[in-house]
Amino acid sequence: MLRADDIQVRYGSAEVLRGPSLSVAPGEVVAVLGPNGAGKSTLLAVLAGTLRPHRGEAALDGRALADWSPRALALRRAVLPQSSELAFGFPVLEVVLLGRSPHAGATTRAADLAIAEACLAEAEVTHLAGRLYTTLSGGERQRVQLARVLAQIDFPKLDFPDAGQGGEARYLLLDEPTSSLDLAHQHATLRTARRAAERGIGVLAILHDLNLAAMYADRLVVLSRGELAAEGTPAEVLTEALVREAFDLPVHVTRHPTRGCPQISPI
Amino acid sequence: MTRRFLAAVVVLAALCGVGNAGAQSLVDATGKEVTVTGDRRVVAVGGSVTEIVYALGLEDRLLAVDSTSLYPAAATELPNVGYMRQLSAEPILALGPELVLAIEDSGPPAALDQLRDAGVPVVIVPDPYTPEGVLAKIDMVATALGVEEKGRALHSKVAAELAAVREAFGGIGERPRVLFLLAVSKSRAALAAGRDTSAEGIIALAGGINAIDGFESYKPLSPEAAVAAAPEVLLVGSRSLDLMGGMDSLLAIPEIALTPAGRERRVVVIDTLLLLGFGPRTAQAAAQLGRQLHPSVTLPAALQ
Amino acid sequence: MDLSSFAQARHRRGLAALWLFGLGLAGTFLLAVGYGAVEIGPGQSIAILAAQTGLDLPWEFTRQQEAVLLAIRLPRAVAGVLVGGALAASGAALQGLFRNPLADPALIGVSNGAALAAVVAIVLGAGIVRLVPALPRDLLLPLAAFGGGLATTFLVYRIASRDGRTDVATMLLAGVAMNAMAGAGIGFMVFLSDDQQLRDLNYWLLGSLGGITWDRLVLVAPLMLIGILSLPFFARPLNAMLLGESEAVHLGFSVERSKRAIVVLAALATGTSVAITGVIGFVGLVVPHLVRLTAGPDHRLLLPISILFGASLVLIADLFARTLVLPAELPIGIVTACVGGPFFLWLLLRRRGPGGW
Repeated sequence: MLRADDIQVRYGSAEVLRGPSLSVAPGEVVAVLGPNGAGKSTLLAVLAGTLRPHRGEAALDGRALADWSPRALALRRAVLPQSSELAFGFPVLEVVLLGRSPHAGATTRAADLAIAEACLAEAEVTHLAGRLYTTLSGGERQRVQLARVLAQIDFPKLDFPDAGQGGEARYLLLDEPTSSLDLAHQHATLRTARRAAERGIGVLAILHDLNLAAMYADRLVVLSRGELAAEGTPAEVLTEALVREAFDLPVHVTRHPTRGCPQISPI
Repeated sequence: MTRRFLAAVVVLAALCGVGNAGAQSLVDATGKEVTVTGDRRVVAVGGSVTEIVYALGLEDRLLAVDSTSLYPAAATELPNVGYMRQLSAEPILALGPELVLAIEDSGPPAALDQLRDAGVPVVIVPDPYTPEGVLAKIDMVATALGVEEKGRALHSKVAAELAAVREAFGGIGERPRVLFLLAVSKSRAALAAGRDTSAEGIIALAGGINAIDGFESYKPLSPEAAVAAAPEVLLVGSRSLDLMGGMDSLLAIPEIALTPAGRERRVVVIDTLLLLGFGPRTAQAAAQLGRQLHPSVTLPAALQ
Repeated sequence: MDLSSFAQARHRRGLAALWLFGLGLAGTFLLAVGYGAVEIGPGQSIAILAAQTGLDLPWEFTRQQEAVLLAIRLPRAVAGVLVGGALAASGAALQGLFRNPLADPALIGVSNGAALAAVVAIVLGAGIVRLVPALPRDLLLPLAAFGGGLATTFLVYRIASRDGRTDVATMLLAGVAMNAMAGAGIGFMVFLSDDQQLRDLNYWLLGSLGGITWDRLVLVAPLMLIGILSLPFFARPLNAMLLGESEAVHLGFSVERSKRAIVVLAALATGTSVAITGVIGFVGLVVPHLVRLTAGPDHRLLLPISILFGASLVLIADLFARTLVLPAELPIGIVTACVGGPFFLWLLLRRRGPGGW
């Protein structure tokens, strides 16, 4: 279990997070929603272990994140950033292989290549493997980064015996993984998130699209002005009242014709 | 076969003879004992050193000179080993010198050591800014080149000239205050000569007194220093005057314009190497300056 | 496409490049030692070297040739290799650290700090030597330069570090500020200097491999080697840091420790180089670029190849510097600038299109 309790974060005199708690369990997809400035990325950074809160604590499997070595953490959780600034001409394959860095010494080159290949396929970027990263579009880059973080946590491990099983749950933290993607790829990415959850990985994704969240997440967490505004299943959270309150947008809530989850339509 | 053998014997004998001729040791300016032998092909470093070599009539022995060796004009046609403080051993060695005559302060020290380690004697010639210093230079260069007789002749000639200068200007009671200005580049302010400089030396020889007493070496002139100096005469090298932009630019410099020399436009311009080199022409330089400082003094014929 | 053969092909190309540049350096080294103003034939060179081990080979050589080869050319060539390797390695590492292909050791304040200290040593040197008579005059300048470079880098690093984290952007700005201040300091010293000192200064600022002897080299070589040999160990962290510092942390690297180490090692390598040769520009900037063009941005290849290529480049530049204006020598900084400058411009013009660095 990856959890953060009563987190307070201050930047100067501004209180960015005022005490929300959040957890991700193995096998579930948690979507974090909220308007801009609500503190979502900050909370993700705390959960990732890169930001130490002023109050409160984040822990993985009961042990405080501050007590984990960077390498040990990297073997358990991967973070997909909102944007990546790689300005040097690495081939896509090598960018994905960078994800295998924490495994150095415990893996073979052949195993790494096999894992990279599988992750490229999962992110639907196999055809880009030989291209230079800097020649890709924003959406393509985002998918390559997805492949990289999947490689980091041994996503295809069930298929590759010598990739090193470990028996401990992995976690994926995705910061707006769909922001540059076209419609088809947005859904493909979230389907990947679901598949990851099916393999026992705990997935947390910051999303802006309420409908996507409703379709793919097991649990929604809504942040507003640094505080927890709502938590629960999509059906429980996505009510007209809450959406108007938290997002300042009057909407109609309907049911999806085939999936049964809530669908938001602005008025 | 016999003829070649005989020729070889003759050459060998001649070499033996020449090889041992005039092998002697002298102590140079650094206190090192240097052994000089052979009919010496020479690299000369330092304007005054080169001048002395020419004055001794031994310019045929010169393989190369440095970038400060500007007189006589023929010297500038010789290969140039660069700035005297930035020498490089290997190119000098490639010229095949049997002796390197270097004025004090040549360098870098490592290069000179490399020359010595390669078997080339290096004689450092002292450079004090006095008449005695000039004569010592002549003596050392002459000894190093193995031409003591010619050296003595030059020594006497220069000593006589310097004595004449001392006679003409040494006893004068009224010594004008002279300020020497050195310009190094167009964009920088000119430097004034303080104590312990060659400029001070030549001014003293010419019957003047260095207007600057407050610092040593060459430093930029502050307005306070200019006021304290109150020079009656300004002395500049010809190249410096060009760099400063000519007489009017010089006199337009605020610190200068306010001095007595500036107000009365009393400026003496003399070729820089001649003036500061402290070589064989020192007496002429002093006479030239002295004539300007003391127009009423009549010079002996030797210095006309 | 077949990923493993793609990866293998790249791997093989990388190794080939490493071998190529390694052999290139060996060849350049032989050229540097064997060629110069004094004529020494290849047979004689070998005989001189063999004689050092007691072997007596049939080629005759003179004492002068022996002195030139062993005491002048050999230490000079070794220094060239070390300096070229050090400057190229720090350049490559700092470009990775700053995630900017235009980064250069001068940015962290090393060069100007060293320059300022050297300038002070030149202008006030006589006074300092009088105070500390035991200090050999020859060592004052290199010691001062080294100390100055390290001190400025340390200052820049401290300004940019807070709570154990170093902000690269702040480091850049601090470097700019340091450079400005050092520049003013140098300008002031230039103002105070006299004719001779000014010339010494100019020559030092243009760099030279002349006058390098074994005893001076022995003092700085260990420090340079530490820098040169340690930096390649940071290749993997540098690769990860190219993604971004947080990403590198997410991948499990101790980024703060790596940053600290890289800055210190780069300052060490550059500071010691500046100490024995004065300022030699462009090597740290141009060499990693050229290597990236042929071998890619992966630091595991970039660092070692840059070291090899930088060493070769400095040796070649020095060859020109000491043979173009015989019997004088050009300061090597002029040669590297004349070649490096236009080349760099050409690089910039060529790469206007997409494809980054």
